[in-house]
Amino acid sequence: MSGGVYGGDEVGALVFDVGHHSFRAGYAGEDTPKTEIPSYVGVSEGDTAAPMDIDGANGNGLGLSSDVKQFGKKYTIDTVNLTVPKVGMEVANFLKDGQVEDWDMFEKVLDYVYSHSLNAEAEYHPLLMSEPPWNARQKREKLTELFFEKYQVPAFFLAKTAVLAAFANGRSTGVVVDSGATHTSAIPVHDGYVLSQGIVKSPLGGDFISMQCKQYLEEKGIEVIPPYMIASKETVWENEKAKYTKKPNLPEVTKSWHNYAVKCVVQDYQQSILQVSDGPFDEEQAQTMPQLPYEFPNGYHQEFGTERFRLAEPLFDPSGLRGVGTTMLGAGHLVTTSVGMCDVDLRPALYGSVIVTGGNSLLQGFTERLNRDLSAKTPPSMRLKIVAVTSTGERRFGAWIGGSILASLGSFQQLWISKQEYEESGKSQIERKCP
Amino acid sequence: MASGVTVSDICKTTYEEIKKDKKYRYVVFFIKDEKQIDVEVVGPRDAAYDAFLEDLQKGGSGECRYGLFDFEYTHQCQGTSEASKKQKLFLMLWCPDTAKVKKKMLYSSSFDALKKSLVGVQKYIQATDASEAAMDAVEEKLRATDRN
Repeated sequence: MSGGVYGGDEVGALVFDVGHHSFRAGYAGEDTPKTEIPSYVGVSEGDTAAPMDIDGANGNGLGLSSDVKQFGKKYTIDTVNLTVPKVGMEVANFLKDGQVEDWDMFEKVLDYVYSHSLNAEAEYHPLLMSEPPWNARQKREKLTELFFEKYQVPAFFLAKTAVLAAFANGRSTGVVVDSGATHTSAIPVHDGYVLSQGIVKSPLGGDFISMQCKQYLEEKGIEVIPPYMIASKETVWENEKAKYTKKPNLPEVTKSWHNYAVKCVVQDYQQSILQVSDGPFDEEQAQTMPQLPYEFPNGYHQEFGTERFRLAEPLFDPSGLRGVGTTMLGAGHLVTTSVGMCDVDLRPALYGSVIVTGGNSLLQGFTERLNRDLSAKTPPSMRLKIVAVTSTGERRFGAWIGGSILASLGSFQQLWISKQEYEESGKSQIERKCP
Repeated sequence: MASGVTVSDICKTTYEEIKKDKKYRYVVFFIKDEKQIDVEVVGPRDAAYDAFLEDLQKGGSGECRYGLFDFEYTHQCQGTSEASKKQKLFLMLWCPDTAKVKKKMLYSSSFDALKKSLVGVQKYIQATDASEAAMDAVEEKLRATDRN
């Protein structure tokens, strides 16, 4: 693509938003991603007979081979493939702390997204990718290198998730509270730039709550049987022992895969049952709230009451947790700490727009509780305002939608790092063009 | 990060006319063809704040705008007998909750460009609903930086 094209509005850009839970990809200008695949990937050692990659020099990932059996490892990607039990398949994630850790696996996922999910050829589509605000410099440069060298993209841009989410909510300044799978973080944004000294994050995210739920279910003696093990089940009364038959000849799955399957069930439980209480958790008050029934895949069902609130409470008040309680910050605290680390003159503007995004923030009652916790802590001279979209799609895909719009703007086209610029100045361009 | 939207010269001249010559009371800007920020309407010197709000929201609930207003109020310092009259310019980013995400994105990501070209504005205000754009909310923000 020559430089002249950038004057035009329609460039068919792609937008990738990578999260711990899932990888969202689609075309710029659309309102939802075309595809969302899990960021978890099944890895199995290929057959010993599988052709090993002899050319070890390709180990840096710049080889053009799209063979998924490279290095004798077989990667299983996407929901459909991942849910089939296979012998010896481990489940792993290519991200760590929001940043790409396993580049090999990441490339395989990218190959898959390009060839199967989007059916697009990388070299014809500019790419806008989201990154966590704390992404390390060498990771950013490596990403730039990867996309220009391996995928030959005509243009590339990295945008911070928090900024995209803030823009998508109509704010250029504010604190973004992003509650995702592995983290809940508070990120101050000013005029479209992240103030990196004020980033505060805690590991209390969706996965943590899933773990709590799992622990609780174990303590209660409720067995979580993932659907893949169940051949048939019968209807039973509430609290009655489940009557189901196990599938015969199940392949011998690995522990990590089984755990992943269990986690999927627990996640569903979490999404349908949990609720954040309006104020600090109070056993008596929680008892007055209505109970909700939940049926597990094996047919067992019961009503859940106070635990609905107790399990979600650590998000806001981790002091009740065993062992770690005092060292972690609840969501309200994250915001005040983050704002406290910013310039005094900025604080009123930051409190004036607290933007809530991320899939985990969809827990019932999340924003209400945040509002309550924060209004108790906001200095009286400042006005508190919480900005949160109500539709689930916009909240889960907040950063993706932001990226989609940005990449489709006619005026944005001059800001891409073009292939030509990359070839002239190299990967350090990323620090200059995408601060 | 910015959107690459530019600011037309007429915005700057209109701004100077308000700031220096006090020719108008307010001005409302909009983004033309997703490329350039341009002047939509100007308000006469004797216009009231309500007229400004009305012009700001003229595009309907699905539209975003920028507004600049020359706000006047009286302020009494502690220990003085007479109140002094103050004039402050503020620039408002109006992105109603009901607006389309695309509009919100376009206006909020281009706000920085406008801020940079209009030098000397005392306050920047982001508003997403009527309560934030209301006169008392704005006045409170302007007064927040005054000495007592």
